[in-house]
Amino acid sequence: MSELLVNPWFLGFAYGFPLITVLMTVGGLATWFERRFAGRMQNRVGPSFVGPFGILQVLADGIKMMQKEDIVPRDADKFLFNLAPILPVFLVLASAATIPFTGYWDDTGQWQSWLMVADLDIGILWVLALAGLMVFPIWMAGWASNNKYTLLAGMRGVAQGVSYEIPLVMAALVPVVATGTLSLSGIVAWQAENGWLVWRFPIVGALAFILFFLSSLAEANRIPFDIPEAESELIGGVIVEYTGLKGGMFLMAEYMHTAVAAALAVTLFLGGSHMPGLSFHWALGPIWFVLKSGALFVLIYWIRWSWFRFRADQLMELCWVLFVPGSLILVMLTAVQVWVETLL
Amino acid sequence: MITPMLAGILFLSWLLIFCAIKVATTKNLVHSVFWLAGVLLLMAAVFVILGAPFLAGIQVVLYTGGVITLMLFGIMLTQRKPDTQVAMDAENRGPALATAVGMLLVLLTAIWGTPELATMTPSPQMVGASEVGKIFLSTQLLAFEVLSLLLLAAMIGTIVLVRKGDH
Repeated sequence: MSELLVNPWFLGFAYGFPLITVLMTVGGLATWFERRFAGRMQNRVGPSFVGPFGILQVLADGIKMMQKEDIVPRDADKFLFNLAPILPVFLVLASAATIPFTGYWDDTGQWQSWLMVADLDIGILWVLALAGLMVFPIWMAGWASNNKYTLLAGMRGVAQGVSYEIPLVMAALVPVVATGTLSLSGIVAWQAENGWLVWRFPIVGALAFILFFLSSLAEANRIPFDIPEAESELIGGVIVEYTGLKGGMFLMAEYMHTAVAAALAVTLFLGGSHMPGLSFHWALGPIWFVLKSGALFVLIYWIRWSWFRFRADQLMELCWVLFVPGSLILVMLTAVQVWVETLL
Repeated sequence: MITPMLAGILFLSWLLIFCAIKVATTKNLVHSVFWLAGVLLLMAAVFVILGAPFLAGIQVVLYTGGVITLMLFGIMLTQRKPDTQVAMDAENRGPALATAVGMLLVLLTAIWGTPELATMTPSPQMVGASEVGKIFLSTQLLAFEVLSLLLLAAMIGTIVLVRKGDH
């Protein structure tokens, strides 16, 4: 039995299935939450008839989507067209695999991270590698639909994804340089023992956190970075030609992406499941984790409903003029502080 | 004896060879690029089995995430029709054959030159990122610096080529 509990295959399944279920549910509920939240912000009600507070609207939408006719455009590249909706869901779910959802102080006073599908030695590299692949489904869908709007959306999406990947990786390097490990559980443990990165490295940590957060918004194609969707110009972006569940999978992936982005920002900069003085039992960890990432999650939707969209060239300028050099400087400043602290 | 590790490597290798053949034989340029992405991802998987997860991660970030995206950009910025077919014959059969045979000879001499290869078992020990970093900045420092110089030269060269249009 105890042998089974350390078998990575067993652990992968034992943690993986609940994680997938939870993330799928969060992705579905996020659509309901977004509509209710937007309704509240715009002084209207939002979905409110199906179930208590309209929460079963998700189910109703799901059933509607499943019933829709599956249409593949005649001139579409069928292979890529059908492959594209599967990939983003897979990539988002897989990138959540290395996030530790709880942790506790063991008997020797060491922080132990727990409840992750795989405690990879290269956890953050795994997440960033998958984030780098996120442009493929956008490009595939845009190209394979054989429609000028989707093609434009795909080009914009790839250009944006590739550009914002650089500040994302650089901002994620700040925790790596500060803690000296690539493993997400190691980064959380360091923060539990030395203080959360967002203020442990004054100003630099907070700025890196903001850069990481905004860059992951851009990777998830959320407003103010939703150029690839741009309902008003590109009639919904790369998913225009997709019907029913195939289009739904793109949306699902996007909503799950916001949740995973919030969870990652919490893991890297806000101490993961650690809460000063309140982490005496492992069962408390998920509460703090959900509270922290929930706050960021709400912030993402708050921004989405109160902000405007950047123009494509403004978006690129913001990235290459401000974010890329800024994140490089932040990595250097972190390295300097780490070096100074080793001297003291 | 076939260990699970060997079986995994063999399985991935056959899949990899299939994808590689597809890269060369697919007429559709876009499909060809995505088959190549498959080749690179499978190579990363082989690295993981061999106990080099850091190398696998870098392989995905740089080759799949970087090089393939660059190719997609190339297709987007040059092609007009999505289903443009590529000519399957580049009319360079002689030089191509010579290169392929030469490459095969180099690989075969390398394999035959290390007789312990047959009895070698891949160590279950993972090579972590910190070890790789230490090697780069100690025993392999010269190679590391030469590579960065090469990349810098390529980058400056690109800027010079692009800026030529201004004058």
